[in-house]
Amino acid sequence: MSWEEEVREIQRRRRLAKQQGGKDGIAKQHARGRLTIRERIDALLDPGSFQEQGQATAIPDYDDNDELTGFVPANYVVGFGRIEGRRVVVGGEDFTLKGGSPNAAGLRKSVYAEHLAVQYKIPLVRSLEGGGGSVRGGGGRRGGTVGEPVYATPRFRIIADAMGEVPVVSMAAGAVAGFPAGRLVASHFSIMTRHTAQVMIGGPALVERALGVSLTKDELGGAHIHAKSGIVDNIAEDEYDLFSKVRRFLSYLPTNIHQRAPRIASEDDPERMEEELLTAVPRDSNAPFDMREIIAMIMDRDSFFEIAPGYGTSQIAGLARLDGQPVGVLANDNRVYAGAMTADAGQKYRRFVEMCDTFHLPVVNFIDQPGFMIGPEAERNGTIRYGMAAVCAAAQASVPWAAIQVHKGFGVATAAHYAPDNYVLAWPSVESGALPLEGGVAVAFHREIAAADDPDAKRRELEERLRSARSPYPRAESFAVHELIDPRETRPTLCRWVDWIQPRLDELKGPTRFPMRP
Amino acid sequence: MAKLEIESEVTGNVWKVEVEAGARVDAGDVLMILESMKMEIPVEAPEDGTVAELRVTEEDAVEEDQVIAILET
Repeated sequence: MSWEEEVREIQRRRRLAKQQGGKDGIAKQHARGRLTIRERIDALLDPGSFQEQGQATAIPDYDDNDELTGFVPANYVVGFGRIEGRRVVVGGEDFTLKGGSPNAAGLRKSVYAEHLAVQYKIPLVRSLEGGGGSVRGGGGRRGGTVGEPVYATPRFRIIADAMGEVPVVSMAAGAVAGFPAGRLVASHFSIMTRHTAQVMIGGPALVERALGVSLTKDELGGAHIHAKSGIVDNIAEDEYDLFSKVRRFLSYLPTNIHQRAPRIASEDDPERMEEELLTAVPRDSNAPFDMREIIAMIMDRDSFFEIAPGYGTSQIAGLARLDGQPVGVLANDNRVYAGAMTADAGQKYRRFVEMCDTFHLPVVNFIDQPGFMIGPEAERNGTIRYGMAAVCAAAQASVPWAAIQVHKGFGVATAAHYAPDNYVLAWPSVESGALPLEGGVAVAFHREIAAADDPDAKRRELEERLRSARSPYPRAESFAVHELIDPRETRPTLCRWVDWIQPRLDELKGPTRFPMRP
Repeated sequence: MAKLEIESEVTGNVWKVEVEAGARVDAGDVLMILESMKMEIPVEAPEDGTVAELRVTEEDAVEEDQVIAILET
């Protein structure tokens, strides 16, 4: 007697489970311009690398003779796979079944995704599509148990824990609401498609019932809303662009906090010096310049991957490589409020520093900071609190930190740009102080200015006198910076620093005091 | 002919308007210069076209996302 019959039945059930929502459900999904969860997983992972967990999970129906008469697959697919040969856990809702709203078997698997990633110490990639729970769900039967037992571990605990243990990435490639929207933001990197995804806490029907306003999903939570809200970090043009950006993001990160981010062999000369850096910062202090060009000239060629370019735009953040070593890059964009720290920029900064700290990525910070944003809007936005959160995140960061004083460095906000493990370089174009000369002179010398025959001329004269007294050399003489450098030397200097910090990076592996939170 | 709305990225003032309504411009030409946080921020034409409308004049205050010009492409 063999077990052939049972084995055939196992195979049949696996086949049934792979039928997802059936031909019609799949056709509908394609008509919406979207891939199914199984197509997504295949396109994201290295070919043939997916190993599904729970291949025959379903809600079955049996007749009185125990014959299977119905088989609705779990609407969550989860398993192991590889990206560029490295292990990941991937999971996602199957929208072709019940609109991704969890059926009983699907819910068990979706909750398992985080556990799997944390247990095996492997990055988690979530594909999110669906509206979360429904009042039609299981609860409410008389005589049955309702809710979780009071001693149960909170279901969200593992979601928080995962962020301090392994890289977590979430992709929205359809409508995402409720609990799935919560999981989207509980990530180190979140991304949505420009035309086929929406993210909202509650969808149009809920909003209309609660607030009496009628809005489409796109008006509520389209890409144009969330590129600016910061709910997602990046926008993808389509699903394939989504997968390629996720793969790229993960290439900079370690597999978990106990390992080091993978340093690759760089083909870019660490001694490369770009002539244009000599003229990159204009001598006229009020003329803007392109900080991203400076970053591109200094980092390994084409290695800069910007995160959240549409949110908190006065602050630039991203990942890059220096002589093959993954690093976090921070920089101010002087074309947006002179690079001032707004409330959004402060939150973006704090989260990014916490991510670098969690995964022990060294930070390279290009400083052109005129201070916290001021004005009525800034006060209403609570700017100083979020700004101080950024200052505290940097002050308690454990990673090696290279600070390059490119241009301005004024006020308390500047403190956000230095960490205890500092390596400080300055360019000759550096300007710093308690506050910028223009405003500072008007405040400090207001009596003299008011008493002058021509107050405006007096103010300009004072500004000019103080400006000419400003020189970059004393900070090098006083060892207030490690080195005052020729801007062209920045790349070679930083690449040498990357070599010195290697032993330190080994020592940092493990949990950090302040992992990233959403 | 598509009409492109040119928005201000920042809250600030219009310092200089560099073109007149009806002018032909190439992508990258400076339409006007805004001043915000003491920085002079050029607003460039995103595409080739004709300046159909200027919605602000020098010294006007502008807000983030305010439409300041219309470009016909």
